[in-house]
Amino acid sequence: MENIIKQIIDMENKSEQSNITDFTRNFKRLHHEFESLGYKIVNPLGEEYDYRDSAIEANIINEDSVIITKVLKPVIYKKENEGFILVQKGIVIVA
Amino acid sequence: MDNIKFGIDLGTTNSAIAKYENGQSNIYKNPVGFKDTLASVVSFRRGRIQIGDKAREQIIKSPLSVFSSFKRKMGTEETYYVKDIDSNVTPIELSSKILKELTNFVTDEVINSVVITIPASFDTIQSNATKKAGYLAGIKEVVLLQEPIAACLAYSNKSEIEIKEEKKWLVYDFGGGTFDIALVSINHRELKIIDHKGNNFLGGLDIDNLIVEKIILPQLEKELNEVGLWKKMITDEGDIKYKKLYIELLFRAEEIKKELSVKNSALLEVDIEELDLFVEMEVTTEDFNKVISSKFEETYTLIEKLLNDNSLIFSDIEKIIMVGGTTYIPYIRKELKQRTNVVVDTTIDPTTAVVVGAAFYAGNKVSKLEEVAKKAENKPKTPSVNIDVKWIYEASTKDKEELITAVIASDFEGFYRIIRQDGGFDSTMKNFKNRFSEFVPLLTKTSNVFRVNIYDKSEKLILNKKDINIANGFYNISGQPLPNDISIELDDEDGKSYLEQIFKKNQILPLKKTIYKTSSKTIKNNSDDKLIINIVEGHGGNMPSSNLSIGYIELLGKDLSMDLLRGMEVEIEFAMSESRDLSIAVYINSLGMEINEVFNPHEKSISTSKITNEIKFAIDELLVEKEIAEFDEDFKYLAKLQIILEELSDLYHEGLDLIDDNTTGRKYQLDDKKRTVIQQYDTLVKSKQIIEEIDNYNETKKHFINHYLETANESQKREYQKIVKEEKEFLAAMNKFVLKRKTKQLEKLGDEVYLKKDDLYYDWFFYFRMKELSEFKKPKKADKLIEMAEVEVEKENIKLLKPIINELYYLLIEKPKGDDDKFIDGNLGLR
Repeated sequence: MENIIKQIIDMENKSEQSNITDFTRNFKRLHHEFESLGYKIVNPLGEEYDYRDSAIEANIINEDSVIITKVLKPVIYKKENEGFILVQKGIVIVA
Repeated sequence: MDNIKFGIDLGTTNSAIAKYENGQSNIYKNPVGFKDTLASVVSFRRGRIQIGDKAREQIIKSPLSVFSSFKRKMGTEETYYVKDIDSNVTPIELSSKILKELTNFVTDEVINSVVITIPASFDTIQSNATKKAGYLAGIKEVVLLQEPIAACLAYSNKSEIEIKEEKKWLVYDFGGGTFDIALVSINHRELKIIDHKGNNFLGGLDIDNLIVEKIILPQLEKELNEVGLWKKMITDEGDIKYKKLYIELLFRAEEIKKELSVKNSALLEVDIEELDLFVEMEVTTEDFNKVISSKFEETYTLIEKLLNDNSLIFSDIEKIIMVGGTTYIPYIRKELKQRTNVVVDTTIDPTTAVVVGAAFYAGNKVSKLEEVAKKAENKPKTPSVNIDVKWIYEASTKDKEELITAVIASDFEGFYRIIRQDGGFDSTMKNFKNRFSEFVPLLTKTSNVFRVNIYDKSEKLILNKKDINIANGFYNISGQPLPNDISIELDDEDGKSYLEQIFKKNQILPLKKTIYKTSSKTIKNNSDDKLIINIVEGHGGNMPSSNLSIGYIELLGKDLSMDLLRGMEVEIEFAMSESRDLSIAVYINSLGMEINEVFNPHEKSISTSKITNEIKFAIDELLVEKEIAEFDEDFKYLAKLQIILEELSDLYHEGLDLIDDNTTGRKYQLDDKKRTVIQQYDTLVKSKQIIEEIDNYNETKKHFINHYLETANESQKREYQKIVKEEKEFLAAMNKFVLKRKTKQLEKLGDEVYLKKDDLYYDWFFYFRMKELSEFKKPKKADKLIEMAEVEVEKENIKLLKPIINELYYLLIEKPKGDDDKFIDGNLGLR
């Protein structure tokens, strides 16, 4: 399932970069399905990188880099008992 | 006498910890990020000590604060200057931090004794330095074990081999950053290293780089019409976009490497916005093998040299044991086997072989610690010193981060560390004096549990607080909670309706949610048919008519561009602002139709015809209830029902008189009265009906367990487990509609199990044989298929019968009615 989620986030990011909005609803629908299966997906694209975030493996380009400019893998949590548990670390580029 | 039990692989690039228990070595996962391994890297920045992957990330940002590969310097006089603490640290101290962090993976036991692995090349001084690192990490007893021996132990433990005469094995250890080859002699289960060779700068990372340089870049250079890309990417002062390209390509190379370990070709996609580059290329095993062959040759030369030095030839070697992630590559396994003609053993996981072997050794090694210390080992990990701490934090919030503050009553100096239980946050060790505050990020719409550890100056744990629970998005006294449930009215299968909760009472405004439903009837365009979306406020577990309608949309047939067919998906997005405006956006994908409406609670949209329908529905229900009460001769209950029935009848007639009244506003009074009376009815029958529904559910569950559970497939079993897991919650909710739906879910699941039973295929065969051939799309084909099916039925060959039956079903012009067809058209049009 983690691989399927990764492919969908890839497609979503590509559509956003190319300003394609035709699939926005379809992506929203897919996210809804993942949530109902107990997954919480965090796509940190564009966020400020927090070095304490242990759900992310960051590739930092240089000493001034602060923003996550590329998400190679999204962060995935899965519902377990009352809370969530990290099942896939995100891999990002911070530039 | 107790055994040591714990084994640690203290690696140059990665480390791990495992415990031997019940005949097995179990590897501990890092509670932060949940990886099996810990990067052997330490960083010191802004008063924080980071260990592992997060420390490694900082190499580019603050190269002088990050320390790695210090294992190679063990036993030397070399020290590292740490600017952050204005002091020098030794490789031993850095190694001790890795060991200490590994022992933190074990949260339920204090570790006093441990086996730590060392390379075969370590001399006595390096070995003693490793021991000292262990003692410095607070471990009282350290036993060393050579890495190739550990790998052999992992292998022999798994294979349970019996060796009668002396054999010689090679341990081929090709990891992420280093290569080692060891010659091992094994006799009566005694292992010793005869000789070894290695290269500290040859590993999987070199292979990733080769994929980038030799396979990917030539194609990219063509695409970009550029030359010298490799140099541009690896130059320190290079353009950022090329550095970014390098990181992405390394990531892709690692993925390709993994994919080519199981497939003959892999598809690579490179997409770099800044370079306006989008390339897709196929990489084959052939391309891959060609570029990595030089690295394999380097390892092979070392093997030959090792054998030569020991006057041995390959036929003297019984087997080669593979260790390290790089040995997953099929080319390496194949070449080794072909060229040495020795058995290449790949039965153990090469990435964890060393730590597994270390734990196995520990599990069979008697601890020499004093009895008193041993007893402490089995004690739970609780701090020995008590300090008085005042904790300050908001238990619930709408914000994405929250401040945790701790104030120590007495004078205190040490370190703190905050970890979020889901593994997504680690403040790392940070020094403080008397008090500390830290903003912690929160996962949205869930409870976030934090563990806070406080250590003294020597990093000894003195306080462990596990119960800091901060809820995001549930309840906050500074926010506005919803006073009632907000629900949507939906069609039930029997032509009635029920409520499905959208927002729960006490959730904090503003709220947003999207649900996906299907149309429960066909609405023809230009007709008077309509689809009704009715949003109500009240108790979600009651009858729809006892709730207050706060948003009502009628989608008329005449407004549709084409027919809305039964079963089409309807997306409905709800948003409720802090001032309680309800926005509803309806989207029907198949019609490309979108409707947006905003409702204010003070603008009631009420339909008199709907009110009368609801009253009629309540009367019908009440009459059924009355009949049962009459049968039971429950006269007291009957009298109460009769009073409500009379009130409802009066209201119904009042409603009929008001159908055409759009001026007086009496319909609002009628709606109020209706809700009050139906609420009375709900209260009267609720507990009785809930008990009935619970009984019903339990009966259905029992039936499922007795008749279907055993024959259910894995996915059906998972579905069943899911329902049972939610049981506690929905039984406690005391909502008869939810209970009813859960019972139906179980019944449906039972039907599914039944329909997939093999025996049923024989029934289908007889069903099809009784049909006229004209009832199939292609009668001749159907005739032939029936003939074929007959043969398989006679042979009782269910495997071949199944596809024939499926094909016949497909050819059938009019399919037999299934569950979905039994569903009668809904009144509202939405289910």
